[in-house]
Amino acid sequence: MKALVIDDSRVMRRIIGAILTDVGFEVIEAGDGQEALMRLEQHPDVRLCCIDWNMPVMNGYEFIVATRKRPEYRDITLMMITTEGEQEQIVRALAAGAHEYVIKPFTADVIVDKLGYLGLLDAEVHA
Amino acid sequence: MTATIDWAPVLAGDPLLQISQELFSTMIDLEPGLVERWVGDRPILDDPRYTWVDVAGEQLVRVVIGTGRETGEAITRALLGLPDGTPVSDEDYVDAVGEVANVVCGNVKSLVTHPGTLTIPVVAPAAPALEHGTCLEDACLSWRGAPITVALWLLP
Amino acid sequence: MTLAPDSFDFVATLVRRRSAIQLDVGKEYLVESRLAPLARSAGAIDVEAFIRSVRANVTLHDQVVEALTTNETSWFRDRHPFDVLKDTVIPDAMTRRGGQLRVWSAACSSGQEPYSIAMTVAEHFPQLRASIVATDLSESVLAQGRAGQYSQLEVNRGLPAPLLVKHFERKGPVFEVSEQLRSMVTFRRHNLLDAPPLGGPFDVVFLRNVLIYFDVATKRDVMRRVRSVLAPGGWVLLGAAESTIGVDDIWERVPVAGGALYRPREGKAA
Repeated sequence: MKALVIDDSRVMRRIIGAILTDVGFEVIEAGDGQEALMRLEQHPDVRLCCIDWNMPVMNGYEFIVATRKRPEYRDITLMMITTEGEQEQIVRALAAGAHEYVIKPFTADVIVDKLGYLGLLDAEVHA
Repeated sequence: MTATIDWAPVLAGDPLLQISQELFSTMIDLEPGLVERWVGDRPILDDPRYTWVDVAGEQLVRVVIGTGRETGEAITRALLGLPDGTPVSDEDYVDAVGEVANVVCGNVKSLVTHPGTLTIPVVAPAAPALEHGTCLEDACLSWRGAPITVALWLLP
Repeated sequence: MTLAPDSFDFVATLVRRRSAIQLDVGKEYLVESRLAPLARSAGAIDVEAFIRSVRANVTLHDQVVEALTTNETSWFRDRHPFDVLKDTVIPDAMTRRGGQLRVWSAACSSGQEPYSIAMTVAEHFPQLRASIVATDLSESVLAQGRAGQYSQLEVNRGLPAPLLVKHFERKGPVFEVSEQLRSMVTFRRHNLLDAPPLGGPFDVVFLRNVLIYFDVATKRDVMRRVRSVLAPGGWVLLGAAESTIGVDDIWERVPVAGGALYRPREGKAA
């Protein structure tokens, strides 16, 4: 399965990417929402996006809104991973179409656990 | 709509220590208990680096993190899972320590439900001049025995 | 560093005496990892030194027992028990009991399990009147359960974001469980070796990842006490690695999708 990690921090992209690779994802990266939309054009088989909120050019919220307007992307699972921890922000992101929301800081098992109940873990790799 | 933030209850919860402990235990050390309040006189940072992130909005809030260069490199290696002694590029350093400042600042913002947005981290060898600001808290922490300062400022 | 055998023995005996939890040889790593944070905050140079000071100071015993008996916990832990609750246990109980459900969440730790049960009810059976008795040995975890307040790190663990925003409210650094869920749950201090708690008879007892710590005779005793407060037709849910096989033949294992439920066999009434 292919995952797109969208964060302007390379360090965060590497951390999240490593967690996803460990559970069997093929990971591609983008540094902002605009670049992420381009990557989606190139990789129509992406099943999961992990999205930071605050990024230059196009932020994560705008990316979610843009993605939800495209019917061909409706099967992609959208997971926000951000330091924005206000309840209002979580509600906003979910209302815009995010499926999950992780507040930084987090541990790897938080992400893996969420992938599990979102049905995105390949049982064999994970076991 | 100017809603002045009531900082007193927030500061009573010792937020900078709390957030730092959560951040280090989950993403840097992968075990709890290695960040504590510094005991004794405030040390002088060796080859210091200061990293800051603002919440831009009605009220400008800034989190400034100070470490010695070596400590910052150790944080960078830990975040990236690199072996001890691996050389750290400037780019990785700014990115990693910047992320630490970003997470601390983002968590402070959540505590006070500040409607502003977080700025991109800045790293410099000197602390930013903040003569017109108010320092709300200036914590000195010990991470594996090395000093790390975390300060919270309110800017005009 | 490895723990000296007599240090391990001391801790194992202390914990067994206070909680009936059996720490067999080979569990040294558990003692070390659970006591390391306590040792550090006490300023001891290592766990060994910390145990030496514990032996000389009875007032430290409580925190050692607590550190070794508190279950790691997360929301909807293992997932499938909550599916079994929703798909099998509650529909079954409703045919017998109508609109009422009584649950015992044993060794509930800081409350994630009973509140996950409460959320399952609120989400799928909003008309059902559920009362959940949540028990644990440790006062400090019960206090957190009663307060219903969880840190950001705690709500990150296994709680789907849509349920977080629906059933919790952020209050400064913590997220607080809604009044709706809190009104379903009663927290009580209880030792599984004592008589069962009030609030029964129960339609279902969650007794997960507890039996693994007990020897066979204690397992049997605990299960018999559980049976004595089980409503007719009631069920027991054990942890994924646990079963009653080899413990007591009065229990029937009923396979269900994703796991198993236990109930007393017909004709072997209490």
